Amino acid sequence: MELFASQLLNGLSLGSLYALFGIGFGLVFATMGILNAAQGCYATWAAIIALAAAESLGLPFPLIILAAVLGGGVVAIGVDQLGFQPLRARKVDMLGALITSIAFWMILDSLAGFATGQQSLSFPAWSYPGYMLTTNPIPLPAMQIISISTLIVITVAMHYMIAHTRLGSAIRAVGWNPVAASLGGVNSRTIILLTAALAGAISGLAGLLGGVLTSNVSFTLGQSLMLKGFAAVVVGGYTDVRGTAIAGLLLGVLEVFCGQYISTALRDGFTYSLLLLFLLVRPQGLFGSRGFIRA
Amino acid sequence: MEFLSDLWAVNRITVAYAMVNAFFALSCYAVLQAGFLSFSTVTFAAIGGFLGAQMVIHGYALPLVFLASGVAGTVSALLVALVFLRLSSHWMALASLALVLITRVVVLNAPALTGGVMGLSVPMALPMEWLTALLAIAMICFWALYNSWFGIASRVLREDPSVAACMGVDLRKVQFTAFGISGFVGGLAGVLLALLLQYISPDTYFISIAFTMIAATVLGGSHHWLGPILGAAVYTVLPIASQAVLPHVQDVAAGVVLLLIMIFLPRGLIDPRAFRLRRAARGAK
Repeated sequence: MELFASQLLNGLSLGSLYALFGIGFGLVFATMGILNAAQGCYATWAAIIALAAAESLGLPFPLIILAAVLGGGVVAIGVDQLGFQPLRARKVDMLGALITSIAFWMILDSLAGFATGQQSLSFPAWSYPGYMLTTNPIPLPAMQIISISTLIVITVAMHYMIAHTRLGSAIRAVGWNPVAASLGGVNSRTIILLTAALAGAISGLAGLLGGVLTSNVSFTLGQSLMLKGFAAVVVGGYTDVRGTAIAGLLLGVLEVFCGQYISTALRDGFTYSLLLLFLLVRPQGLFGSRGFIRA
Repeated sequence: MEFLSDLWAVNRITVAYAMVNAFFALSCYAVLQAGFLSFSTVTFAAIGGFLGAQMVIHGYALPLVFLASGVAGTVSALLVALVFLRLSSHWMALASLALVLITRVVVLNAPALTGGVMGLSVPMALPMEWLTALLAIAMICFWALYNSWFGIASRVLREDPSVAACMGVDLRKVQFTAFGISGFVGGLAGVLLALLLQYISPDTYFISIAFTMIAATVLGGSHHWLGPILGAAVYTVLPIASQAVLPHVQDVAAGVVLLLIMIFLPRGLIDPRAFRLRRAARGAK
């Protein structure tokens, strides 16, 4: 029972990383129609920036989180303005944006390799809360609680923002049709910038938490988040934040339990079989509706 | 003359890679020109590649191997199309990427057929004559397709499906044909790559080749059949050239070049529309 509970916690905290990353990825996909191959690099670079800030300035943990969030946001804005804005100005379809994002993926991944000296770094022990909150009845590591609660806060805030505020309607309007949104009085350039920054910041958060939890800051961090976060987006449906969050948690828990009780070799097999099942049975995701078709 | 043969010896392998990549890019192009962004080429290539490798190991003749891989690719492509064509374009892009991830897991967990984690060694090198002949045949086929009823119909379909339907184009037929062609060429590309590398593993047919081959296709130009072939050549030579000019940062340099081409020539290097516009401008003078 104790093993079950602590594995459940492991699964949930791993899943919260996937879900957080998926929320950022899905936001870009739904609002700008970009399948962003460089999204994983935002997470990697946010973790690298946060690590550099932590080591050079000796910041406390909340400020390290802030550094990662800002870092992710700034990298995302840079990629968007350098790579995607020129294409938007020429009205190129999502294919062009995918290719520029692949170019950025190559550039940023390679630079991340140089930044970490081609090896896996980890956050120094003093820089994050590595202790247990309690050990009785089960050990509760503070970092796992932090990452799960971060996911809950971000999901609730994002869902409220997108579904119930003026900013959220503006984001959805731009996602539907930027020209029509402009005619309706929305400054779509600002909204796109804001969305890019927000998605980068959330991915950056996932990168930092992932870097701390797995003690791995290198370009492989972004890649693994990208693959599983992407799975969470497909299972959950990219038009709804709640779906992504639930799907991410589900994938994390399944992965850990499968590794514990069935077989370690089949861990990934399980995740992707679920993915295939969803593609066949519910291609629009958990919360997606069939009637919603993008033009 | 000696200089020329030296140059050939050094660059032979690069040319072979460029030609094999051309098959991958042509497979991507076959669906792209009908308006679908799909990464499933890699899945067809994996099926063709592992089937072909097993056949080579069991001593079948090369023509039979190529044919079987192509047919296996076609069959899998038609099955995939059956599911994917129900999805909207955004979902299809996501779903095909998911399919690539699933492919790797399947390959990993079927060691009897694929060698699992260890991969498969292929006990035969790819004869250059075969590669050249196949590429020539593929070029003739794609040239004929481009000018055929199917080529025109699929270009209309890409620009506007409703217009295509109004003009009496059978959308399903064009879509399935596009996927079938992509499957055949993809399966062939898979076995050619297996023979060229002489070793394939689950990572051979995975995300990086999926992304780079789509990039090569769009870079060369996805509106004309020569585009993917040129794109694959550029994409193969670019990292090697940038390694010679700027060692250590070749990935960065290749990425920057790709970025610049996409920003300044978003329709690719070969763009029939640009040719026509230029010709029209000359005619007006």
